[in-house]
Amino acid sequence: MRDTENINKRMSKSAVSATVPGCIWKCTMIQTENLTKIYNGNPAVDGLDLVVGEGEIFGFLGPNGAGKSTTILMLTGMIEPTAGRCLVDEIEVAKDPLAVKKIIGYLPEDVGFYGNLTAEQNLDYFARFYDMGAKERKARIEELLELVHLDGVTQKAGEYSRGMKQRLGLAQALINDPKVLFLDEPTANLDPEGVREYRDLILALAAEGKTIFVSSHILSEVRAVCRTVGLLAKGKLVAKGTLGEVARTLTPSDEDVVRIVVETRERLPDLDDPEIVAIERNGNRAVVRATSDIRDRLAATLFEQGLHIREMRVEEPDIEDVFMAVYRR
Amino acid sequence: MAFDRLLNVAKKEFSDHITSRRFVIILGLLLVISAVGAHAGIESYNNLLESYNQQLQHVQDIDVSGPYTGWMPEKPSILLILSPMMSYMTTLGAVLAIAIGFDLVSKEKETRSLKSLLSHPVYRDEIINGKALGGIAALGFAMVLALAISLAILLLFSIVPTLTEFAAILIFGAVTLGFLLAYFAIALMMSTIAKESGNALIYTMVIFFAVSTLLPVLGAVAGEALAGDRPEPPQTAPLPKEVIWVDNGGYSSTSVSQSVVYEGKAVEVDPAWQQYEDDMRAYSERRMLISSVTNLFSPQMNYFTAAMAVTNPRIATVIHSPLDSMPAETPGLAEALSQVWMNIAALIVFPSAFFAATYVKFMRMDIR
Repeated sequence: MRDTENINKRMSKSAVSATVPGCIWKCTMIQTENLTKIYNGNPAVDGLDLVVGEGEIFGFLGPNGAGKSTTILMLTGMIEPTAGRCLVDEIEVAKDPLAVKKIIGYLPEDVGFYGNLTAEQNLDYFARFYDMGAKERKARIEELLELVHLDGVTQKAGEYSRGMKQRLGLAQALINDPKVLFLDEPTANLDPEGVREYRDLILALAAEGKTIFVSSHILSEVRAVCRTVGLLAKGKLVAKGTLGEVARTLTPSDEDVVRIVVETRERLPDLDDPEIVAIERNGNRAVVRATSDIRDRLAATLFEQGLHIREMRVEEPDIEDVFMAVYRR
Repeated sequence: MAFDRLLNVAKKEFSDHITSRRFVIILGLLLVISAVGAHAGIESYNNLLESYNQQLQHVQDIDVSGPYTGWMPEKPSILLILSPMMSYMTTLGAVLAIAIGFDLVSKEKETRSLKSLLSHPVYRDEIINGKALGGIAALGFAMVLALAISLAILLLFSIVPTLTEFAAILIFGAVTLGFLLAYFAIALMMSTIAKESGNALIYTMVIFFAVSTLLPVLGAVAGEALAGDRPEPPQTAPLPKEVIWVDNGGYSSTSVSQSVVYEGKAVEVDPAWQQYEDDMRAYSERRMLISSVTNLFSPQMNYFTAAMAVTNPRIATVIHSPLDSMPAETPGLAEALSQVWMNIAALIVFPSAFFAATYVKFMRMDIR
């Protein structure tokens, strides 16, 4: 009976997850409904509706002060929302923050530790808040310290560099083998080698089925690991989807024309197609603006004329430029 | 499980305290002074004991029909050896309490470890209660060590306390711990309010000086101002009076007048002077009441009064009722404590109020 209920529950969850790209049978792991946080009359997060599926690596982008960290603090049960609610694995965070904290890991921005304790002692202190026996804690800590290359480091955490602290932060976020991992500016203090290792680790964790929520203002970082992104500006979700989808959503409307870049070895002849709106020529290169994607017809025409095509592609909006435009708003 | 989490925080805090250089240095100093103080106290006790034995000898020799008929000298109490501890606890003890409390929360804010801690399954109240419990345990540990050293020195000199004296020593320890907790609670609250540990220390020291030094002076000034006009003595010559000056350790002094009865015959009292004495008593009582109420806000004064009731109940009675004659017999421990219940209550209420304020502030603290 209970099994049937569980299956029904999962079925209903999968219906919700239909909104998550590439998530057919996966469940919704993180969900916010009209999530709002107001500080001194100013909304830091303003009516945020967000759904992140199980096993996703979700990039939460936005400029500094957009409300990313505040959203994470609400999702991790560290502050209460002014309005709305958020759920992690179907648990309402504000109602049962402890249950949520048991299944999540959180790496805060500029993570801090007890300077008078070693990495092992710091991790052991945090691990004691979970139902872990002494042997289990010891084994887990050894495994994590090895993972973040801090095994054998006898220094106290107070003497750590920022990069070492960041790596220890990742270890403490993984101490309970969480289902969901929240990472706030995870590569901020890492060197290039550390960044590469971090990326590998995140991809490995996602392969294990963990949901990873990465908050960052660095687009390149999010682009490197995240499959879907949400863009936050002034506390509001501006766009959500794959990076390409978000970029297209945010690109200023060009009267629904498709921009096709064409380059031939020979000089481009006059192009005649009823769907062509305009052509910007530059020698043997041109940007054709058309009402639809006419690449197949265009290629056939040029081929018939004996021309050699070097390049033909639909010009995607430049993601960096699009995001910068949102950041500057 | 909730208790486990609280205990986890408390154990870590206790361990941090007793292994911190700051705590070890101050505790070491405290223990050395305890040992020296106890040794000096034993010397005083031995002198008093010798004097007692001499008086005992004289009592057997005096005239049986004289005014001191039936008078017996009182055996000195070994609790006198705790008197030096009272003095240094009000300073060094308070410093120790402040030292372990002033950065308990602010340091976690500065190093951002609080955010890391809160991301794990632990409630905020468990953190602040655990911190308070760890600090209380560390101060209790310091107190037990200080008393243990004093007791060890007593035993070294072959002085074995009776059961009552041992109970009094334990009560003295509890009262001292209450005093230490007052400053620990202030420091913890300032640590929660201030963003930086440096500011928390400054705020705590300001309160320390305000309640230990300024408040008693203000109490005396307020008593002077609010008790009304001081009665004027009559112009006639006074009848003979005996005046006893009571020294209670340098904190305050008072005078006591008493009529001396010789063989059942009272000395004739001048009505004008009797009226003056009554007015003066009422005036002094008003002043004392105002001063006492003000002093209830000073942990130092409460501690001094309560500890004195334990270590020297006779003097404590005189301090409590300076206008009455000195009691013929030393009051019992229970009686002495009942006279200072307000001060003992204040020693409980004072830290409790600050702990409560700390709790509320910590629960509402912005941890961004």
